[in-house]
Parts: sequence; structure tokens; C-alpha cells
Amino acid sequence: MKTKVFKSVMPVFVMLMAVGLAFATERIVVERDAYYNIPGTTNWEHTTVGDECFTGGANACSFLGQQLYAAPDFNSMKLMKP
Amino acid sequence: MFSLLFILLFVYAAVSKLLDFKTFETQIGQSSLLSGFFDWVPWGVITSEIVAALLLAFTKTRLLGLYLSLTLMLLFTVYITMILYFSADIPCSCGGVLEALGWKGHLIFNGFFIVIALLGILIQRKQEYNFN
Repeated sequence: MKTKVFKSVMPVFVMLMAVGLAFATERIVVERDAYYNIPGTTNWEHTTVGDECFTGGANACSFLGQQLYAAPDFNSMKLMKP
Repeated sequence: MFSLLFILLFVYAAVSKLLDFKTFETQIGQSSLLSGFFDWVPWGVITSEIVAALLLAFTKTRLLGLYLSLTLMLLFTVYITMILYFSADIPCSCGGVLEALGWKGHLIFNGFFIVIALLGILIQRKQEYNFN
């Protein structure tokens, strides 16, 4: 009897724990627009990146192998992260 | 025990995706592999994860839940392998802290859960056989 109750209560307990964990590890990310040039053209596409790409650093923020910029212009800020 | 691990994983992943649905949708949209299925993939993934967790919660449907879990893990693994080959720059749309794993870490993580699913299926089938 005890085992039966345990077996039916455990999945519910684990589900509640998973929901709690999901809320506890929810991150607040500010998404910002970033731009990349389509190689061999003057066309630009945009994507979204987290705030860390606007802090600067040693690592380039890239998308599909292309350097990301703050605006659709090679003279705009190159997006880098720590 | 194995099914509890899957319940934890699927409910956590589904709720994390729902909490940040816009990001999840954007990340799926960025994937050239899934761009043709953009309309239904985000909801399809979340629904499959919740259905799998519910099937695993009940003894009568546990084996079916384990088969669905194995199928999902294999599908995710095929997707990750293709991403690693074609477009590793795309962020992982895994939900919650699982995003921190990166693609290669995620591949190992999935391998572990595939083994867990196979073991779970073997044990569950044996239990059902003995019961009958």
C-alpha cells in the first residue's frame, strides 16, 4: 500500500519540482538587434543577441560565421563579448 | 526511477521554453534546418515533452512514455548532429540551464538519456511480462 502511494505521488512531486526549478533558473535576458552582412553583397540581415554582445571583449559575436554589428554598416560597432 | 528522470527533464524543459517562448521561437526560426516548419515546431516540441511526461507518470502508459521519450531524444540528437555539421553558430534552443551546455555538451547529455530510455524500456517490459 505504501509503495503504491509512493509510486503515484512521486511523479506529481517530480513534476512540481521541475516547474519550480524552471522558474528558479529563468533568466532575464535583454535581447537586442544585431546585424550581419551577406558575403559578397551590400545586403544586411538582422538577428537578436543577448546584452553580453554589447559589453565588448575578446570574443567576436557572430551568426552563421559572420561578424555581428550594432547597425547595418561596417563602420558601426563590432559586437564583441567577454 | 528512469521515468522520474525523464519527467523531471521534460517538464523542466517544457516550462522553461514556455517561460521564454519568444526566444525559443526566434532560435527555432534562426535554424535553417527547421525554417520550413517554423509554424508548428515550437508548439510541437513543447506538447511532445508534456505528453511524454504525462504518459510516464502513469503505470499503465509508462512503457509508451518511454518509447516516446526515446523517440524524442533520438530526434533531438539527429537535429543536434546536423546543427554541429551545418550551423554551429545558432544558439541552443533547449530551455533553461540546458542552454549552457552548448551543442557538444548537449550531444553527450542526450546520449546519456538515450541509454536511460533503453534501460527503462527493458526493465518496464520485463516487469509487464512478469506481471502478465
